[in-house]
Amino acid sequence: MWDVIIVGAGLAGLVSGIRALKRGKRVLLITEGISSLVYASGALDFGDIAALQKQVKHPYSIFSEEVIHQAFDYLKELCPSYQGVWGQEQAMLTSVGTLTMAGLLPSRLQAWPLSGARRIILVAPAGLKDFFPEIIKVNLEKSYPLALIDIKTVRIERFEPWISAGKSIDVGNMTRFWQTDEGLKTLHKILSEIKSNRVLSAGSGTCGTAVDKTVVIFPSLTAELAGSVEKILAQTTLSVVEMTSFPPTAHGQALYETLKSHFRCSGGEIWLGSRAVRAECFKGVCRRIIVGSKGKECGLEAESFILASGGIFGGGIRVTPHTVRETVFGLPLFIPQNWTQAEFLVKQPYAQTGVEVDEELRPLDPLNGRVMLENLKVVGRTLAHWDPWTEHCGGGVSLTTGYLAAGLL
Amino acid sequence: MIKYVAQVVIIGGGATGVGILRDLSMRGISAMLFEQGDLAQGTSSRFHGLLHSGARYAAKDPISAAECAAENAILKQVAPMCIRDIGGWFIQGADDDPEYVKTWLEGCRQAGITVKEIPLAQAWAQEPLLGDKVVKVFEVPDAAVDGFKLVWANAKAAVRYGGSYKTYHRVEQVCQENDRVTGVTGLNLITNEKFTARSQIVVNAAGAWAGQIAATAGVSLDVICDKGTLLAFNQRLFKKIINRLRSPGDGDIFVPHETITIFGTTAKLVESPQENQPTVDEVKNLLDLGAELVPDLAEYRVIRAFAGVRPLYGSGKEHNGEGEEGREVSRNFALVYHEAKEGIKGFVSIVGGKFTTYRLMAEKVSDWVVAKLGISTTSRTAKESLCPPVSQALYDKALALLPCGVATKMMERLGDEAGPVLEQIEQDPSKGRLLCECEMVSLAEIQKTVMDEDAHNLADVRRKTRLGMGTCQGAFCTYRALPLMQAEKVKYDLLQQELEGFLNQRWKGIRPVLWGDQLRETELTRGIYAGLLNLGGN
Repeated sequence: MWDVIIVGAGLAGLVSGIRALKRGKRVLLITEGISSLVYASGALDFGDIAALQKQVKHPYSIFSEEVIHQAFDYLKELCPSYQGVWGQEQAMLTSVGTLTMAGLLPSRLQAWPLSGARRIILVAPAGLKDFFPEIIKVNLEKSYPLALIDIKTVRIERFEPWISAGKSIDVGNMTRFWQTDEGLKTLHKILSEIKSNRVLSAGSGTCGTAVDKTVVIFPSLTAELAGSVEKILAQTTLSVVEMTSFPPTAHGQALYETLKSHFRCSGGEIWLGSRAVRAECFKGVCRRIIVGSKGKECGLEAESFILASGGIFGGGIRVTPHTVRETVFGLPLFIPQNWTQAEFLVKQPYAQTGVEVDEELRPLDPLNGRVMLENLKVVGRTLAHWDPWTEHCGGGVSLTTGYLAAGLL
Repeated sequence: MIKYVAQVVIIGGGATGVGILRDLSMRGISAMLFEQGDLAQGTSSRFHGLLHSGARYAAKDPISAAECAAENAILKQVAPMCIRDIGGWFIQGADDDPEYVKTWLEGCRQAGITVKEIPLAQAWAQEPLLGDKVVKVFEVPDAAVDGFKLVWANAKAAVRYGGSYKTYHRVEQVCQENDRVTGVTGLNLITNEKFTARSQIVVNAAGAWAGQIAATAGVSLDVICDKGTLLAFNQRLFKKIINRLRSPGDGDIFVPHETITIFGTTAKLVESPQENQPTVDEVKNLLDLGAELVPDLAEYRVIRAFAGVRPLYGSGKEHNGEGEEGREVSRNFALVYHEAKEGIKGFVSIVGGKFTTYRLMAEKVSDWVVAKLGISTTSRTAKESLCPPVSQALYDKALALLPCGVATKMMERLGDEAGPVLEQIEQDPSKGRLLCECEMVSLAEIQKTVMDEDAHNLADVRRKTRLGMGTCQGAFCTYRALPLMQAEKVKYDLLQQELEGFLNQRWKGIRPVLWGDQLRETELTRGIYAGLLNLGGN
């Protein structure tokens, strides 16, 4: 029935699915929970590619830089709102207003307009959860000492009853609100207010060019991914920059939705809430996987399989006090000797745990280098020998391996 | 140089120290306590939180058993807000010696501990996790006690009677002139200023650190450091406190607290009280022992491991009450009179003991102190309530403003101090939102604690509010405390340092239990702080 069955709806799983569909394959994607993209910033980081390619067994060392470049271009094609120049990293704002770097990001997340700003207006919707304007202001002042930074608190009528009931407005609530008619009107009003204030200050003798040095920062808009919102922003002459959010993130969620809809529009089928329980393999070939869904199990057959079930965080690798296991195929894993480091926010050995693969992304036995399954590709965080959080290459590895896996089918 | 004067200086802000501070203050004696860290930062918070009924000691040590039984009853009366009187079960397993059970039952009878046998069918129905190797189940008046809360309640009660305490004040020298103590000198670790405190009497209640304090007065005190490791599970595994009915040993106590269960302990002699790091081997050993009662214990989520250092007096041997120079008041704890022993007048050390008997120890020390001062008063700590009564109106207000569970927990933590927090929430309902979702702590309560003069870092805030003690171990609440600290920035380190410091401190307890869902949670935490916020090494 299917040419390919993919396990996992993170970046690697979805990208491999979309590309496989475009190459004419019949694809089923099964996913147990929500995509781990919602915990990511929504921008894709690639890290120091040249340095990482030299690291023994790092996923980047499996393929050429050219492949990473192709994958980079492929995502830009899929998501035209994503900007990036190959070989260059761009700054964007974290949820606390500090700067971090990414290779590919929604255009409004790019922080560069702030560099020339003389006045920065941070729009602060009252009651927005995990959003701290005062902290952001302090950090902006450090990065942009020449700019005057104002916080513009906006009270949104729709959420007033929430606030008086002590209920939080999370990023998802806010993002969805902006896309409603009422939200678009509110957005328009906020921008007009800022603009008229700016005209006032321009009127008090400032020359015309100073006007263009005002930049407005918004949290949780995801404008490029919601056409109606972008339309409002495009109408104003104000420069509007967005910032990333604390998880679950607005841009991560938006990227997930965008890729999912691409996958579906290309003819792919997704089973949500379905868990790949185990696989039936014979003589180095996987025949069927057993999927548990709605309390029942069923066996599904395909020519090939792509394992994109994630690592320790995503649930693709399960650790108990006595064992470490890849949860679907029971693949042999690379497991580091030492498990942890004394400091927390550093490269942790346990994070290197994963599946070793050959140049065709087929799983290997780390003991003897033998290919375990001919018709399985392993992609993304399930792979061994890398750490997205300290190497800042989570976007690059997942995107490239997903892209490559579909190309190798 | 800051100068203080008091009749009595107490060193050590654990249960014993604050107990003495309160007892003396209630008797009208001016007393001042110095603690090198935060109150209850040492062993008084690093234990299983079991208020012994005495049953654990019934077979071997009838005196300790009787002492615990008496204190258990007293504390339930005077400090109910710090105690959950959930009762404890002693479980006899198939491999446990029936002879021991007989001796134990007789011991309980002699110590006056009420024991009630629970039919097996009822036991399994009530505690389904118990395996099938259970032979007999006995109920005793064990209870769960919150060490942080009890210590702070004592300190605050003492202040109401005129006592005072100074945290982050490290005593560096016990001073003496002509064979008589004259006070102490030390360092304020927050301001780096030196201080002196003059007093007629110095009480060394530094627990595992008591040997170091005694050494500054030139006397040696034989304090043995005995490390005990414990595990915290992310849920209440049992309704009751569960003990094994056999000779006390490792891994034989489960105590449910708030939303978690603490399981322990181990015993290992260590060189210094700073050696309180649990090891992976200790954790695995504990899990194996626990599996004898709960066969699939390893499947349950452990959120952290921690260890405390018990201060044992003199080689850990039992004392028979016949000390030559010093005088033993109990097998369980010892008062060492340096006047009799080394000829230093006005200097006494209290060592050993259990959390359950802290009040009794404080009473004995205070009796000696008042005798030395030539004052005749008696202790009132066994009768007088530890916390002032909380008005029903305040409870009702909390219930009106906050969800029921949140309101109840807050009232338990704050008691009559909840007033200002509730006012804040009344004025701005958004301050009633939960900042710490695991332990259900509101933004307004954390804000109050952050502004509190006793809070100098996030860990201080944690000990008072339970922020970061739940399942997320700081992943979300650390971030949410940022703006509150920013508003009080004079007091706190740069936010980035404060964050990294707190996360590293949480990490210490997570490292030895890094598997299952806690490992996933840890990867999320690392993803947020190292990845999204780009903090840390690079």
